[in-house]
Amino acid sequence: MAKKPQIAADTRPWRDPSAKPFVRISNVTKKFGDVYAVADVSLDIYKGELFCLLGGSGSGKSTLLRMLAGFEEPTSGKIEIDGQDMTGVAPYNRPVNMMFQSYALFPHMNVEQNIAYGLKRDHLPKAEIADRVAELLSLVKLQDYGKRRPDQLSGGQRQRVALARSLAKRPKLLLLDEPLGALDKKLREETQFELVKIQETLGVTFIVVTHDQEEAMSLATRIGVMNYGEIAMIGEPTDIYEFPNSKFVAGFIGSVNMVEGVVTEDEADHVRIRSAELGCDIFVGHGVDCAPDQILWWAIRPEKIALSRERPEGDANITKGVVEDIGYLGDMSVYQIRLDSGKHLRVTQTNTIRGNPDAITWDEPVYCTWHDNAGSVLTV
Amino acid sequence: MSSFDIDNPAPRRHRPWTAVERAFAAVGLSGRALVIAAPAAWLTLLFLIPLAVVFGISLATKQFGKPPYSDLLTTGDGTVQLTLHLSNYVRLFTDSLYVAAYLNSIKIAFISTIFALLIGYPMAYFIARSSDRWRNILLMLVILPFWTSFLLRVYALTGFMRGNGVINQFLEFIGFQHVINGYNAVLGWAGWQMPSLPFVMMQTDFAVYVGIVYTYLPFMILPLFTNLVKLDGALLEASADLGGRPMRTFFSITLPLSMPGVVAGSMLVFIPAIGEFVIPSLLGGPETLMIGRVLWDEFFTNTNWPRAAAVAIAMLVVVVVPIMLLQKAQDAVQDTARTK
Repeated sequence: MAKKPQIAADTRPWRDPSAKPFVRISNVTKKFGDVYAVADVSLDIYKGELFCLLGGSGSGKSTLLRMLAGFEEPTSGKIEIDGQDMTGVAPYNRPVNMMFQSYALFPHMNVEQNIAYGLKRDHLPKAEIADRVAELLSLVKLQDYGKRRPDQLSGGQRQRVALARSLAKRPKLLLLDEPLGALDKKLREETQFELVKIQETLGVTFIVVTHDQEEAMSLATRIGVMNYGEIAMIGEPTDIYEFPNSKFVAGFIGSVNMVEGVVTEDEADHVRIRSAELGCDIFVGHGVDCAPDQILWWAIRPEKIALSRERPEGDANITKGVVEDIGYLGDMSVYQIRLDSGKHLRVTQTNTIRGNPDAITWDEPVYCTWHDNAGSVLTV
Repeated sequence: MSSFDIDNPAPRRHRPWTAVERAFAAVGLSGRALVIAAPAAWLTLLFLIPLAVVFGISLATKQFGKPPYSDLLTTGDGTVQLTLHLSNYVRLFTDSLYVAAYLNSIKIAFISTIFALLIGYPMAYFIARSSDRWRNILLMLVILPFWTSFLLRVYALTGFMRGNGVINQFLEFIGFQHVINGYNAVLGWAGWQMPSLPFVMMQTDFAVYVGIVYTYLPFMILPLFTNLVKLDGALLEASADLGGRPMRTFFSITLPLSMPGVVAGSMLVFIPAIGEFVIPSLLGGPETLMIGRVLWDEFFTNTNWPRAAAVAIAMLVVVVVPIMLLQKAQDAVQDTARTK
């Protein structure tokens, strides 16, 4: 599902400390009454990026987006877009367009009028508006639907009209609030790739708000994970998934097995953690910023654990359990392994052999093993 | 024991209405028919039959006695004779009084509706946009005047508008006469002399406009409010996002989407205002000619019931026909929108 490397995704300007950000959010806080919707968020977004703000409901991601669009003013902090301070700039004066979660199509106008609305506000000549509308309709593959009203369109068609309308003014920055939220699963997957394609063709910077981590993983050049109004982690999808910086991020993205442990060896090139929950020692093949006897957490993804009937070689990273449950998903199976401590491990195995008669089955005692850098050591 | 005990089901409840329903069904009346029949009977008894009676009277002629109009059906020589007099209707067109009264009623109702709309729309908009806590209080304030008698409210307006009423006293208190003098000295030469205080407001058309707008304003505000409160805020944000300034957003988005409310509110003000009798009688002058007053005079002063009935039927036509045309136009617009 990795995105074709191109433009911003290819050059990765966020890795270059001298690169100039296109959107700069500095120490932005938004309070509603006594509640902090967004708390001291600082974030740089670069030109041509497809940045995903990911978080649960109430995490402040939509409020942050609305502040970028100008519908809310920050309580404190500053937002700069293309080097321009946006404080006090009304929504209709910002070089930004937004695609609304509800699409917010004007029900009394047809598709063409909806798309042309923003262009008319710029007082473009009629012929140019007509050209631009036709161009956008073909971009979103709705050439024959120009005269229809929004209530005569399907959900997917409305979504594309909303996208075309928000792109009509050729904004430097497009904000998308749950752009695929109202679509069914199959349509969502198709549209996802179409969205990325359009973004790459036009080179517009996208900021997408979503609560769907799968959507964020497949769309984004970078993801900002939000929790209680704060940014929990910013990084490329692989960083977020494979190298989470906290228990929250590890648990929020994908499924994870998390255990508590105590550091017994703390060397420059490796760490050994004793975990009573896991019933074995964890050997981590790289140095970790911790101290001996420190209590910390270790997280591992289900697909990083291997199952075997025979005990593998080694004195660490091996634990024993019993298969309690198997969920067969077709492409893979999810095993619930009950360890001696009572802790459950979630392990996934790809079903590479058709109807495997030798597959590990219910109530079998099994060994779980993993590579010495398969898990993440988390201190917060 | 759970409530879903299969072996010991709960005893069947006695349902008396089932028996009633069966009894009606036996004579061919379903529940559905009964539900429809109740309002139909009500309308027939209290609307259609009286209307037919009025229409009948309008085709008779005035005579002395009880009742003060001629019978439509007369018997004699073994025949039944039906006599329909159209003279009352002919008179409505030939006597300029009636035509003038109809036109003036429509004019007053129309102008009042425009003012009610201009005043009521911002109020409805404000109420719809205010927070939940304030919204109910403000709506209450709109409805509250209904709790006092209509007659009292109209009569109270005279206290404001008469020669030594509240308005004139206030203008005198703030020294408005100086403003008038100054205006007349500077701009009055063009023949637009302003009258001096106290202003004459009572017994004028102005007072009638004030009265109608004031008493019918809630009928404008409430349908507009119910429409505007449903307006999706995201549409306004979308308009702003696409570069629409607040005024442009209002005329391109808010106003077109609130047209059903505008039409409903305007109808609720316009229709009763045409036949208004109390307000022009209490606030208007002798020259304020409105059809309600003509009707009253025909009925009570001239005791000409047939003529009064003809005036009433003609008014019904004047009011109903435009509504039907409007509805037809609306349906046509909706149909074309759907088939496009």
